[in-house]
Amino acid sequence: MLPAFALIRPRSLSEALSAISDDDVPYSGGTELLLAMRAGLQRPRALVDLKAVPELRRIALLDGGAEGTELRIGATTTHDELARDAVVRDSFPMLARVAAGVGNARVRAQGTVGGNLCFAEPRSDLVPALAALDASVVLIGPGGSRRVPVAEFILGMYWTVREPDELMVEVRVPVRPVRAHYVNLRITERPSVGVAIRVDADGRCRLVIGSVGEQPLVLDYDGIHEVDPDAVSAAVEPVPDLTGAEDYKRHLVAVMIRRAMAELETGKKQ
Amino acid sequence: MSGTRETAGRSVQRPDFMAKLTGAAQYTVDIGMPGMAHAKILRSDRAHARIVSIDRTAALDAPGVVGVITAADLGGLFPRFGHIVPDHSILAEEKVRYYGEPVAIVVAQSAWAAADALELVRVTYADLPDVLDVAAALAPHAPLVHEHTYGGTADESFRVLTGAEQERASSNLAHEVVLEWGDPDAALAGAATVHTTSVTFPMLYAYAMEPYNAVASYTGDLHVISTAQHPFMVRDDLARVFGLPLSKVRVTSPFVGGGYGSKSYTKVEPLAAIASWAVGRPVKLVLDVEESIYTTRVDSAEVTMTTGVDSSGRILARVADMVMDSGAYADNSPLVLAKAVNRCFGPYRVPNLRVRGRSVYTNTSPASSYRGFGAPQGNLAGETNLDQIAERIGMDPKEIRLRNVVGPGEELLPGKRGLDADLAADLEMLVDSLRGARSEDPHTGIGFGMSVSDAGAFPVSTAQVRVHVDGSVTALSGSTEMGQGSRSVLGQIVAEELGVEHSRVTVLQSDTGTTPYERTTGASRTTVLVGLAIQRACADARAKLREMAAELLGTPIEAITDVAGGVRTDEGKELGFADIVRGWFGSNAGEVTGVGLVRRDGVTQKMPPFWEVGVSGVEVRVDVETGVVDVEQLVTVADVGFAINPAAVEAQDLGAATQGLGAALFEELVYDGAQLANANVVDYRVPRMSDVPRRIDLMLAERGDGIGPYGAKGSGEGALNPIGAATLAAVARAVGRWPDRLPLTPERVWRLSCEVAPSQPAHTAPDYDGSTADAISDGTQT
Repeated sequence: MLPAFALIRPRSLSEALSAISDDDVPYSGGTELLLAMRAGLQRPRALVDLKAVPELRRIALLDGGAEGTELRIGATTTHDELARDAVVRDSFPMLARVAAGVGNARVRAQGTVGGNLCFAEPRSDLVPALAALDASVVLIGPGGSRRVPVAEFILGMYWTVREPDELMVEVRVPVRPVRAHYVNLRITERPSVGVAIRVDADGRCRLVIGSVGEQPLVLDYDGIHEVDPDAVSAAVEPVPDLTGAEDYKRHLVAVMIRRAMAELETGKKQ
Repeated sequence: MSGTRETAGRSVQRPDFMAKLTGAAQYTVDIGMPGMAHAKILRSDRAHARIVSIDRTAALDAPGVVGVITAADLGGLFPRFGHIVPDHSILAEEKVRYYGEPVAIVVAQSAWAAADALELVRVTYADLPDVLDVAAALAPHAPLVHEHTYGGTADESFRVLTGAEQERASSNLAHEVVLEWGDPDAALAGAATVHTTSVTFPMLYAYAMEPYNAVASYTGDLHVISTAQHPFMVRDDLARVFGLPLSKVRVTSPFVGGGYGSKSYTKVEPLAAIASWAVGRPVKLVLDVEESIYTTRVDSAEVTMTTGVDSSGRILARVADMVMDSGAYADNSPLVLAKAVNRCFGPYRVPNLRVRGRSVYTNTSPASSYRGFGAPQGNLAGETNLDQIAERIGMDPKEIRLRNVVGPGEELLPGKRGLDADLAADLEMLVDSLRGARSEDPHTGIGFGMSVSDAGAFPVSTAQVRVHVDGSVTALSGSTEMGQGSRSVLGQIVAEELGVEHSRVTVLQSDTGTTPYERTTGASRTTVLVGLAIQRACADARAKLREMAAELLGTPIEAITDVAGGVRTDEGKELGFADIVRGWFGSNAGEVTGVGLVRRDGVTQKMPPFWEVGVSGVEVRVDVETGVVDVEQLVTVADVGFAINPAAVEAQDLGAATQGLGAALFEELVYDGAQLANANVVDYRVPRMSDVPRRIDLMLAERGDGIGPYGAKGSGEGALNPIGAATLAAVARAVGRWPDRLPLTPERVWRLSCEVAPSQPAHTAPDYDGSTADAISDGTQT
């Protein structure tokens, strides 16, 4: 049962920033936080509802000058909004497909991109997909803002670099001509293994293994031919759970890497 | 078959459709009472421990707290319940027997205040050695979950299941059943082939969408509104707790959000009732899913089945041993065990038989009824064993069944009703459909199976039909609408019998204060037994209406015959029901009540009232790299005699089969020490919409061979029962090796695939083709 809490509804980013603290925590979709509160794992004094903060809820292309063009995904964008956005579907079809497959219909309608990243549930589809696309998150706090690559943002299970007085404003994804693909295996509600792969125009390649370990494994290669699924399978540090022991998860990693690579090449589901 | 019938045999829309669709339907959780307080349950955080002390001082001082109730407060009450063995403490007395057992109730002004105060109740325990599984529970000198036995209940129909009066217990055996005839040992010695199979059926949760909840008001009389499937059984338990006459205990079940057996018998009603009794106010108690899982789960089972056949595949003998993990309290497990014992050997001629079943107490959450009632556990062993024998002797799995299946009218159990079904014909329909559309993929396999269950439970049903002054009709039944659609079907029977529009019939159900007695809503009985009671109530109302019409018209009663919605005289004069009621009472007022009673007499003399048939099969596709199993096709045959509402029968079969696929492929409660590791829907995997088979063929077999209205038999459980074995066989044929347990999770199927030796063809026999007797390696052969 949900314990009692205060609800704070800021209308602007600055109001939101001044409202959050150790005990007054950011809240948007609540798909993870409310479960944790119901289970008695978290008991914040207040939920700071970010849904009415306009700066956090938008998807737009941004000309970043030296950084090149970037896609900005506001932190409170829901999975559904991400999946349906015309720009995302056009420029980042892999991301749109991943968002369309997150959790279940209720989670996609309520759950947000920022929530998914900040809660840092290790079994996430979005994290490896964004990390593969070389996305960064923008955090803002009392000391100003900072930008952290998604691959470095997650420190471990339910653990990120975000400080309690910081808000995630948005995710930024560089717009570059890449080919990208994501495959996962979902045995229970959350994925047991997820593999994202990105190949740049010059052939360089990034592989991200999500959901298997405490944090995603990010590997960069000069070319896709360098990817050795068995070597990656040996390198992951699987967390055994009810969906599989360590050896099964290692095996799955190799299988899913091969499938991701084959599907990327053929465009067909293996 | 509906040629001469107006309403029976048609897929009318359920009357509760719009209310449920729009959220207007009232469930227990929607109900409040004036002055109502809220209860939360303090539960044991260990498996087995003596309660040294409970300090509630701080909790009583907490804001909003109205009362804290422990077993020590129940002086003057009978502090336990249990319809077979009254072993179940409402609140733990002296010791706790499982993690999650209720120890105290905190009642407060709000549910939040009660939840906050739970943490302030200080319980001091002294740990006792525990037994967390059947192996530990049955070991020599194992710690005892119950130190003594309990006297049986007064219920005649359960007396056979209850043991001695209260005495010291010597083991953790909750109940033992042995069924034996012939000389199985000699028959096995003389058999051409003898084969043994051991399988494990997983510990499950029935996962009704609506968790257990109740609202109770004790004011000298007791009124409880709850999620009970069997409100009359709950009434009996509550009357014993409070020493009240049955007339002073009212149990009402509004709409129930799914039961699947898990809401049969008493659950949280005594907790809410004693809380109200203690604080003198109405009390509401709503459990969450995790608490519900710790309230009632499904018996897991380990079953070993040995069968001997002659050279032509005829069964000479079957010998089975099954052990069920029934958890800390007996609840309905003795009956589940008894049913598993008589359902495990299948609908086959078995000239020599011995089945020994044991239900074992462990320090885990208590198990009780589940859709299929022991059949899913037993059938898995029986049908898998038969499939493996067929493979060993090189016989088509359909053929071995046809050779042994019990024919129409034939006795399956000595002294019981002969089989009221044509299983051979059903099996032909099933296998034709399954084999008619095979895919070419090598990693596919089909599997199928059959079951019959002695269904209907004990035939005691009553119903009333009230014909109103405008000719519309209200039917009353104590049975429960829990999603299965009985409200449609019972209304259709009324409409058919009285010849009135279905839309002018209202069915009211499941209130022990206002609706007539119904023993249970389970064992697929409502259509048959309540249907018969409704038919008789309609006949009784019609008899009264004919007499009234004769009196009104001054005609001899013999001159009056029934027509749709009224009567007609020899001269052709017609009177509608409204004319008769209005005329006889002499005013625009009054009504005529018909009463229908069913007992063990006439068509319901012979037990069981009917045999419920399960004939189901699947085609699966296995992704051998990941072990993921997809169900390509599901086929079921609903051998229901007559489908009063065909769409409802099909929906029951699809639902039952899908629930069966849950246990076959995904579902398993896993204990990690004293606690469950997956007591939530995120980690306990139930079937999703995307798991529904790609092709679905739900067939009806209507041969009018049931004793129910228009030849009907019940449905709702049957299609589930063979699904476990069918899926197991299909996966075995797809990967080339027999699994020995459910569910067939991806990891298990992958490991199974890995065990196929490289020299063996990974896949040779998607189904029998007449030449592949040894295609599947089998670690369980003897």
